[in-house]
Amino acid sequence: MSASASETIDPAQAPLWDRNHHGHDVIGTRTFGFWLYMLSDAMIYAALFASFGVLSHVMNMAGGPMPGDVIRPGYAYGETLALFTSVLAYGYAMAALRRGRAGGVAGGLLGAMVFGAAFLGLVGKDLGDLFALGITPERSGYLSIFFTLVIYHALHIAVGLLWMLVSLVQLAREGFSSNVVYRLVNLKLFWHFQAVVWVFVFVFVYLQGVIA
Amino acid sequence: MTHSADNPLEHPEVQLADGRGYLLVYLFSSALLGAATWLVAKQAMAPLGLFLLTTALAGVVVVAQGVFLLHMEFSETQRWHTVSLVLFIPLFILTIGLSSWMFHGLYRRTMLTPRTAAPAAAASAGAPAMPGMDR
Amino acid sequence: MLVNLQGPWSPLLGRLAMSQIPYENPILVGTFLLVVALGMAILGAVTYYGKWRYLWREWLTTVDHKKIGIMYILVGLVMLLRGFADAAMIRSQQAMAVGPDSPGYLGALHGYLTPFHFGQIYTAHGVIMILFAATPILVGIMNIIVPLQVGARDMAYPYLNAVGLWLTTAGAALVMTALFIGDFAHAGWFGSLPLNELPYSPGVGVDYWIWAMQLSSVGTTLGGINLIATIVKMRAPGMTWMRLPMFTWASLSANIISLTSFPVLTVSLALLTLDRYLGTHFYTAGMGGNLMLYNDLFWIWGHPEVYFVILPAFGMLSEIIPVFSEKTLFGYTGMVLASFGIAGVSWGVWLHHFFTMGSAPDVNAFYSVSTMLVGIPTGVKVFNWLFTMYRGRLRFDLPMIWACAALFFLLAGGMTGMMNAFTTNDYMVHNSVFVVAHFHLMLLLIVYAIFGAVNFWFPKVFGFKLNERWGKWFFWFFTAGTATVFIPMFTLGFMGMTRRLDYIPYTQWQPLLDAEMAGIVLYSLSAVYLVVQLYVSLRDRALNRVGADPWGTSRSLEWATPSPVPFYNFAYIPHVNARDEWAWRRENGVAQLRHEHYTGIHMPRNTGVPLVLGGLSLGLAFALVWRMWWLAALCLAGIVLLVIMRSFARNTDYTVPPEEVKRVEDAVWAGASVRGADGVRSGAGGLTPAHAPWAPK
Repeated sequence: MSASASETIDPAQAPLWDRNHHGHDVIGTRTFGFWLYMLSDAMIYAALFASFGVLSHVMNMAGGPMPGDVIRPGYAYGETLALFTSVLAYGYAMAALRRGRAGGVAGGLLGAMVFGAAFLGLVGKDLGDLFALGITPERSGYLSIFFTLVIYHALHIAVGLLWMLVSLVQLAREGFSSNVVYRLVNLKLFWHFQAVVWVFVFVFVYLQGVIA
Repeated sequence: MTHSADNPLEHPEVQLADGRGYLLVYLFSSALLGAATWLVAKQAMAPLGLFLLTTALAGVVVVAQGVFLLHMEFSETQRWHTVSLVLFIPLFILTIGLSSWMFHGLYRRTMLTPRTAAPAAAASAGAPAMPGMDR
Repeated sequence: MLVNLQGPWSPLLGRLAMSQIPYENPILVGTFLLVVALGMAILGAVTYYGKWRYLWREWLTTVDHKKIGIMYILVGLVMLLRGFADAAMIRSQQAMAVGPDSPGYLGALHGYLTPFHFGQIYTAHGVIMILFAATPILVGIMNIIVPLQVGARDMAYPYLNAVGLWLTTAGAALVMTALFIGDFAHAGWFGSLPLNELPYSPGVGVDYWIWAMQLSSVGTTLGGINLIATIVKMRAPGMTWMRLPMFTWASLSANIISLTSFPVLTVSLALLTLDRYLGTHFYTAGMGGNLMLYNDLFWIWGHPEVYFVILPAFGMLSEIIPVFSEKTLFGYTGMVLASFGIAGVSWGVWLHHFFTMGSAPDVNAFYSVSTMLVGIPTGVKVFNWLFTMYRGRLRFDLPMIWACAALFFLLAGGMTGMMNAFTTNDYMVHNSVFVVAHFHLMLLLIVYAIFGAVNFWFPKVFGFKLNERWGKWFFWFFTAGTATVFIPMFTLGFMGMTRRLDYIPYTQWQPLLDAEMAGIVLYSLSAVYLVVQLYVSLRDRALNRVGADPWGTSRSLEWATPSPVPFYNFAYIPHVNARDEWAWRRENGVAQLRHEHYTGIHMPRNTGVPLVLGGLSLGLAFALVWRMWWLAALCLAGIVLLVIMRSFARNTDYTVPPEEVKRVEDAVWAGASVRGADGVRSGAGGLTPAHAPWAPK
């Protein structure tokens, strides 16, 4: 029994070649691949959160600072607001892109950069204060994973800022070319994804750290 | 492999952008996380209640962001994005959940518990210590 | 933040010093001289024949998925040879160093390898065979075949494809560098913690191991993204999901595994890196670290990884067996579901690699059961292959005999795997050579499928068949070697021999160890036959030229284009009408591949950027191994700058004019028409008429 036997296509009439090939949806293909990359990055976060779960036993504090000693929930909420505002600004950049307004896109990107930089500054100040108190990743297994998670997220924000800078230059050079547009969509995926990841960092590392 | 001659701005993924939705989810998630922060800072409930409540709030915020920020939906454009995310979620749960489960059991069986936490741990241990644990 | 090192460090060279060059070890010096001689010979030959320009333009800068695939396979073959040399050294050491009276040479108390050297060899053997031999060869075959099977002109991201290749190559090159500069890790391919921490392994070996794995991990993740996007987004019109060839399905499931699991490897190694470079306490024995966390993370990747290598092998068997049974694949839907069943279950079994950790009984029971569940979809596959052969018209060409032997090893390896899945049994055989023999049989099943696939698809890629006679000699010697090495190994495992012994205290094991040694000799002889097979095939290539369908009974879309495949794959993108499209066209007499007119074809342009990125990554990894911070910063800055600059490039693709397409097509068919008018049924299988009474209807 052949699979082809069940087909009712008449071979004499069936189209054999796609003579008018229009090509693939370039933007859709590119954003899908980038989305897959973002998901693999999310898997990195999942592994880091798994490590965080394993290294949160009281033995992992090694007699050093407890989560309550290193976490200020109110301050971290300030970081949250900075990041969310940056994400909102990028959202407005995308809304402007939809209407084809270059000025709106540039303004949104600049806004996203300002608030993203503010987020980085807040995180940097927070971690710097801890370092000044002698609370460093080398102190205990718990602090190792705490700093790694927070800094890994901050690195993403830094990369995003660099990317936005490059995007601004490319926007000025090329206008809304296919390349510029798909990269802006990818950057949007990247940037908005950071907000989602931050919700997990904020709730599971910061808030729930204080509860325990 | 040809580039579509169409205006890239007409691409459906660009057309997904929705300023009002972004503003809504911004206000919504800021408010929810603000409430969670306030509850935690005031220690308004028992630890377990706070733990469950903050987890639930995080879940709601993330779903809202997934829908309004990341446009997770089953339209022609976003279908594969959504499918791939949905396929990843069980793996996140397996990675974190099974690891935590394994090590929870391992800690109970192998770790010396510091004096402060000892009574609670001993009470919850239930099962007798494994022979040979004291080596 | 940086940890204090034991031993000297200079700002310019980092930890690198003359004392790190193992010039006093005759084995390494001999190898080095051999490598230099071979390298000089190759470079000299390229120069002598004036092929530098050709090499650069056609290979090093290519974004053609077929050429990238071939280069992946070449990298894999070179590393396979290296891994085999390591295996031969492990076997000969174990055959020599038995009992207290066994003599010692070259500074070793027994045998000829010191424990530290022996440790490096078995570590390198494992890392190389899994990550730098099996993975590149499989990725290479997927790279070549999947775009052809889905009817695409290239991968979704040709440039990224080249980046993946050169990152993997950089990883392989780093492993090779460790042979001659410094040393390699000595704590097993999957690493033993806390032995791999800096205080216990102060050398650079572990760092080499970390960065080589990381490079390969990034390369494979990028490749996985590319293949998934190709299958999801680049299918030809009419190629619905349930018409996809089985190898493409298997590649999809395998690459979903690689995309999801390799990031976890990245994390497990990155945390170790932080421990070794910055003094954190992830896996340390004290200060709140947890060394079992390493095993957890590593095997979250490690177990899916073994299915990442086995699923494409299953896919190859699913392609070979129907063609040489002259039947369609039995139970197509079941096969698809089984592939994804295996991929899904692979995510819930990793603890079986460390049952002896001491988890709670419910945890061990869970993982024991989930491990046994793997047997169900695998069993479905085996029965589907058997039912495909049942009442088929079997032809035992080279690909088919490799495939049949693969089934046998799947059975033997799978059954012993089920034995290991029992926790109680695993406590007995954990870390014994019984386990080693089990997973070698599973990996050999992959090797068998690969050799089958290479023989099967070689004519598609190169336009001529591999020699059958010498190929069979190779097969039988290889199989004899496998049996002679691994049957005694199972026995030794039951007798209590643990793995990684550089000295064996029991002289009564000597005969079995000698048998294993004899097996290695058989393997070595088989390698000679392989070389002869390749040589004879290449010499007689004019006699063995084939048309589009060399086997005459092929079924899927990759055969619906000339052999060797032109760089644009299909002059016109095919419109797919059936599950086994090529078989359908042949049966219905519409297997005509020539066209009257041609249109322009849009193709990506070659670029040297991926090669430079690979080189910079190699520099970065090397600098990090030796802690030359300036070089690391320079390479990293170079990578970032290059990526940004590349994003400004506009001239990345071009259109092949119709005249050029016509010229290429005419040349291809002129070559093929010598043997057969339409170029379709000109292979050995061409002897069978398409409408034989027994042909599938």
